[in-house]
Amino acid sequence: MGVLSLDLFVAALRLATPIAFVALGETFSERSGTINIGVEGTALAGALIGATVSFFSQSPWLGLAAAVGVGMLLGLIHAIWCVYLRSDHVVAGAAINLLVTGLAYFLTRVVWGWRGTSASAPILNPWLLVWTMVALVLISQIFLFRTPWGLRLRVVGEHPKAADTAGINVYRTRVGYSVLNGALCGLAGAFLFNNLGRFSVGMVGGRGFIGIAAMVVGNYRPIPAFLAAYLFGFVDALQMRLQDVIPSHFSIMLPYVLTIIVLAGFLGRANVPAALGKPYIKEEG
Amino acid sequence: MSAEAVRMEGIVKRFPGVVANAGIDLTLNYGEVHGLLGENGAGKSVLMSVLYGLYRPTEGQIYLNERPISIDSPAVAIRSGIGMVHQHFMLVPRLTVAENMVVGWETVRAKTFLDRPRIRQRIEELSEQYGLGVDATAVVEELSVGEQQRVEIVKALYRGAEVLILDEPTATLPEQEVAALFDTIRALQDEGKAVVFITHKLREALTICDQVTVLRKGEKVGSVPASEATERQLTEMMVGRDVVFEVQRERLESEGRPLLQLAGLSAVDDRGVPAVDEVDLTVHDHEIVGVAGVQGNGQTELVETICGLRKPRQGRVEVDGEDLTARSPRDMARKGLVHIPEDRHRRGLVLTFSVAENAILGRQYEAPFAAGRWGQSKRAIGGYARELVKRFNVSVPGVRTAVRALSGGNQQRVILARELDREPKVVIAAQPTRGLDVAGIEFVWEQLLEMRREGAAVLLVSMDLDELMTLSDRLVIMYQGKIVGERKPRDTDKQEIGLLMLGGAVEAS
Repeated sequence: MGVLSLDLFVAALRLATPIAFVALGETFSERSGTINIGVEGTALAGALIGATVSFFSQSPWLGLAAAVGVGMLLGLIHAIWCVYLRSDHVVAGAAINLLVTGLAYFLTRVVWGWRGTSASAPILNPWLLVWTMVALVLISQIFLFRTPWGLRLRVVGEHPKAADTAGINVYRTRVGYSVLNGALCGLAGAFLFNNLGRFSVGMVGGRGFIGIAAMVVGNYRPIPAFLAAYLFGFVDALQMRLQDVIPSHFSIMLPYVLTIIVLAGFLGRANVPAALGKPYIKEEG
Repeated sequence: MSAEAVRMEGIVKRFPGVVANAGIDLTLNYGEVHGLLGENGAGKSVLMSVLYGLYRPTEGQIYLNERPISIDSPAVAIRSGIGMVHQHFMLVPRLTVAENMVVGWETVRAKTFLDRPRIRQRIEELSEQYGLGVDATAVVEELSVGEQQRVEIVKALYRGAEVLILDEPTATLPEQEVAALFDTIRALQDEGKAVVFITHKLREALTICDQVTVLRKGEKVGSVPASEATERQLTEMMVGRDVVFEVQRERLESEGRPLLQLAGLSAVDDRGVPAVDEVDLTVHDHEIVGVAGVQGNGQTELVETICGLRKPRQGRVEVDGEDLTARSPRDMARKGLVHIPEDRHRRGLVLTFSVAENAILGRQYEAPFAAGRWGQSKRAIGGYARELVKRFNVSVPGVRTAVRALSGGNQQRVILARELDREPKVVIAAQPTRGLDVAGIEFVWEQLLEMRREGAAVLLVSMDLDELMTLSDRLVIMYQGKIVGERKPRDTDKQEIGLLMLGGAVEAS
């Protein structure tokens, strides 16, 4: 089989990386009770700001830090909306997606004079981020199920009042994991930029949403979520090879079609945190 | 006298527009069970929430072990050795007993990882010490209510509680488990813990407590040693008047007309497991038939099947001789069968709707409430609701108030008003007094007896044996979906009924 070679599996890991970063971030966020569909835009912001800072500073490391920083900032904004102002999580996430898309067109035009793309900028070896992702997946799995912090996180998402009466600060926990989610989405964006060497408005291309799908398929657990992300990455890698065989218009659809099929099977079966998407209103204290 | 654990002095707690606690003093001693008695809304839970750091007092001072302390969060309370078992358990159903117990108070090794073996060992020690029989590895959602309550108690002990607040611990507990809870409380007392027992049930307070403090409308009425108190005296203190709790259940002659007949009725529960198993039952005019049973023995499914909310597998439901098996709830109501559902928030009312809207639920399509095919007559609805509110003594600011804003007792009055005003032939009342205070219970009982007086057949399902013994003409006992016995209240006692409820065979005497 010419198609199923080792490089296919290697390429799959690389293509799975941004999806897995998002899936991991969303796992933390949703486990604490916050739905963030703004991950798509947050990843895009990571790529945009990462590229911009790297371009001007000529330091890919500074670019990486900026990508994580902007992700955290967006995570914080989302958390303030959802946790303190009790807005609808989906609307808040959609706002972030729209905001960042607009910002991307604006910034690329102002800085480079092009619509939606940047000039090339210095990059890091993308494999650095791939292995970072793998390490974070393993650490997260242990964190979530074997440490006190993981236990508290799970209780906050399931029964915030129980957490509160056990002396856990529900608001701070939710904000914290929302910011962590932002940081991980920033890393997803940073990977995309470092992988390509420049920014382009379409570069996230639904991988944020697929990351949420991977989290659902992985049943809110880091390692299974990574495996789901890997499956999507694999199909993406496969479709690139199949472009010689079938028209690319069809092959490009494959990962998205897979998302729909797999989700149809998994949605509803998943262990959705009981308090997901519900604001916690602490009785006057 | 034993050592003082907690002293609360002049506790005032104001909410916007309400004074929940108006300067309350309370002293708790180690090795003592202190009853906090009062009607719903008397301020018992608020006072204890202040002690547990959930509310900050507007005024007043708390002393712990004779030193002033400011408890501004549950975390502080826990650290100070104050534990609370809430009426609605603070447990995550999907996590294990051990995880629920330790969260926020974890035993760790290497400063990073949960030390599961040591956690399990500690839970087993505590469980054994107090005879609680708690399995650390079980998943909470698989436990019974009583077991979950024991988990909550061990949870507090695990955190080093020396002062333990039990908020209405018997409210959701089946009669049989109450005795076990009392044993636990005595064991806690023997270990020198200070226990607070919040309740509105007099008999329980007198049975288990050493000292009883009575609150009414946010004020402390008095505090008496349980050994010197009588039920009558405490009732007076609670409600501020001498309530005669002997309801007038006059002798009535039934005409022997079977208004509700069930024949071989069977149904399955939501998981498809048989829940109602060939039930034969007849309720006549002028008759109240009580259904006793430990929760989860098919009573809920029986009621739903009768009312048309659940499809029977087999069998017949007849109302006044007419076969109405598997008809819709709307048909049943039109044929004269009304339902007072056990869960008033989920089934009885739409909480966000107004009193007026709730008052016509189920009749919204009828004249005069419907105007033409598409319209509603606000005037007819409002007028009718105002009349009901007056007749059934619902205390509301106006009929446009959302039902959510009413107290439990007034919510139940809205339901009773709506259902009983339809002049039913058959009333199916499921747990009609659950969670109500004395005045509320009295009202519901009077209404049910009034229905009986007017000739209706009443099927009363209740967890409260006293209620069943007081109101019923006949009692049937359900066990595992079957009716396993029938008694007349005057020929039996609670012990015998309790035994039958547990499936114990009682020799027919």
